[in-house]
Amino acid sequence: MITSIAHTTIYVLNQDESLDFYKHKLGFEVGDDMKVEGGFRWLTVHPKSKPELQLVLAEPKEGPMFSKDAAEKIRSLIEDGAFGAGVFETENCQETYEELVSKGVEFIQPPTEQLYGVEAMALDNSGNWFSLVQRL
Amino acid sequence: MASNNKYKRLNDSRDFIVDNYHASLSLSDIAKHSCMSPYHFLRVFKDTYGETPNEYLIRLRVEQAKRMLITEHFSVSEVCEKVGYASLGSFSSLFVKQVGVAPTSYRRKLWALSAEAYCFPAQAIPACYAYHFLGKFAK
Repeated sequence: MITSIAHTTIYVLNQDESLDFYKHKLGFEVGDDMKVEGGFRWLTVHPKSKPELQLVLAEPKEGPMFSKDAAEKIRSLIEDGAFGAGVFETENCQETYEELVSKGVEFIQPPTEQLYGVEAMALDNSGNWFSLVQRL
Repeated sequence: MASNNKYKRLNDSRDFIVDNYHASLSLSDIAKHSCMSPYHFLRVFKDTYGETPNEYLIRLRVEQAKRMLITEHFSVSEVCEKVGYASLGSFSSLFVKQVGVAPTSYRRKLWALSAEAYCFPAQAIPACYAYHFLGKFAK
């Protein structure tokens, strides 16, 4: 029986800049930041109260799974806003929205009533979409 | 879960721990950053994060120690001091409790697995990622 999800990947354009965004703008905490053989940086972040779900911030680079062409296409798709980072939950969408706006986070939809709660939509510094949801 | 305001105050204390994990920290020192009494802070912190401030501090110190042991050339005593422990014995005991092996054994084992000096081996990250990004299956 699968009990939970521990890691999920967000492809980003630059790990240092994304770390700054997720840590200082969204208020996440660093889970792992490890220099791994092969020149790979294993970088994860998580909301402070949810260390059990690690978001892997990974750069698409030429390697075993991506050809140079594929990596470039993925980078281009990220820049075009073709990917979503997921849904982040908050106790108070309006308050968190105002806090993030004051920190310079770009929103594409302000807090809006939905069937399941109040939701705003924003972009991370790479161009990934994410929702900010206050559940009913 | 704490209210937004209380959660923010708790996060301030949590950030204080992150920034000062290498120093000697008392519960009162940490609780001050949330403007709460130590007892109340302890209870709310545990309710919110699932671990006490001290458990979090120990986990943070051990994680930093693991990173230093692999990616730096400090001696175990130096690592112990850099992550905030005055006693090598206490540090080693905590490390064994959290990681399962002594600091020296941990370093020796991971260094032996890594093809590059001062790097974690591919086996230190989930295999699907190691294969995806490094083309390596853990052995």
